[in-house]
Amino acid sequence: MSAATLERALGESGVGGTVEARGPLAILTLPHDHVIDETLRATLVALAPAHGFTHIALEITDDADDRAALHRH
Amino acid sequence: MCGCTREVTRRAHFHLREAPDYVSFMMQASIPHIDPAQARAKEAQLVQWLRAQPSVLLGFSGGVDSAYLGCVAVDAMGPERVLAVIGRSPSYPAEQWATARNVAERFGLPVLELDTYEMSDPNYLANPTNRCFFCKTELWTRLDALAQERGIAVIIDGTNADDRSDYRPGAQAAREHGVRSPLAELGITKAEIRELSRERGIPTWAQPSSPCLSSRIPYGTAITSERLRQVEIAERALRELGVVGDLRVRHHGDLARIELSRDELSAWLIPAHRARIREAVRTAGFARVAIDLRGFRSGSLNVLGGVRPA
Repeated sequence: MSAATLERALGESGVGGTVEARGPLAILTLPHDHVIDETLRATLVALAPAHGFTHIALEITDDADDRAALHRH
Repeated sequence: MCGCTREVTRRAHFHLREAPDYVSFMMQASIPHIDPAQARAKEAQLVQWLRAQPSVLLGFSGGVDSAYLGCVAVDAMGPERVLAVIGRSPSYPAEQWATARNVAERFGLPVLELDTYEMSDPNYLANPTNRCFFCKTELWTRLDALAQERGIAVIIDGTNADDRSDYRPGAQAAREHGVRSPLAELGITKAEIRELSRERGIPTWAQPSSPCLSSRIPYGTAITSERLRQVEIAERALRELGVVGDLRVRHHGDLARIELSRDELSAWLIPAHRARIREAVRTAGFARVAIDLRGFRSGSLNVLGGVRPA
């Protein structure tokens, strides 16, 4: 399982965001208002196993989380 | 389009107003085509099977399978030869208990409640991959003693034909206590049980499957009353928010991972709706909330725990 390679693959697919690995679960964080349509959802689900993850979940964030993430970078 | 798909589509639309949840099941879960005549023939065999027993004690959860079996049993054998027993513990959702009581009352099913104490068993609390074995051992030990005390000949449960292909360590406990599973033995599938329940007017026919609350906690993470309570509160909050169909709140410590049925997923992934989900689930004490992008998977934690392939 590699959060870093999944994160890189997401970046190459035009999706930003960060990935946290908890065993075979990938927790994806995107800006809180990022739209996840069916195509993007399917892409994310398809990408996860290629990087060793059996599950991928989108963490629900808000404005404050986005600002905090910005400060961390 | 093949005939099977047409049949499923037609049936789903026919019952749209009556039970929208069921539409999700039929449309998304690739439930195989049901031949109603064949299902009724199996039910006739079930009636015969039950009538051949002097008396039965049913492990009754109020789920789709045991509710159907209880209703058929009382119809076939009469209330004096049937006793449905509800085992109550912190892992048994209150809503399921209410459903069980409602079905029993409506269909004249004699029911008895007893407490089970799997939460006192360290083997169970450690939450190994065969956790269900310890829970069911506790349940069947108590029901076995009750059956002997009351002179009831046979103990039965609602295991169906589909369950036999799933990972179910609890089945071993049932075997060790001589529990019979007539639905499985007669090859009656979940889809057939739903259809036959609908025909009988049993309200659980469209009810999503709802295994015990411990099934939301990953293997190796200790089962505690507090964690079970969190899961129950979060799932209730999501139902109150309007989530329908299959739903699981998986407990990952500070994070709740929500599994929704595929039909529900796209609607709840809209940013404004995501925020409502987070707000609802955080009332249960989770600091972080995430939506599983693949949606509901029965036995999802078996995959996560490496018990079953993805």
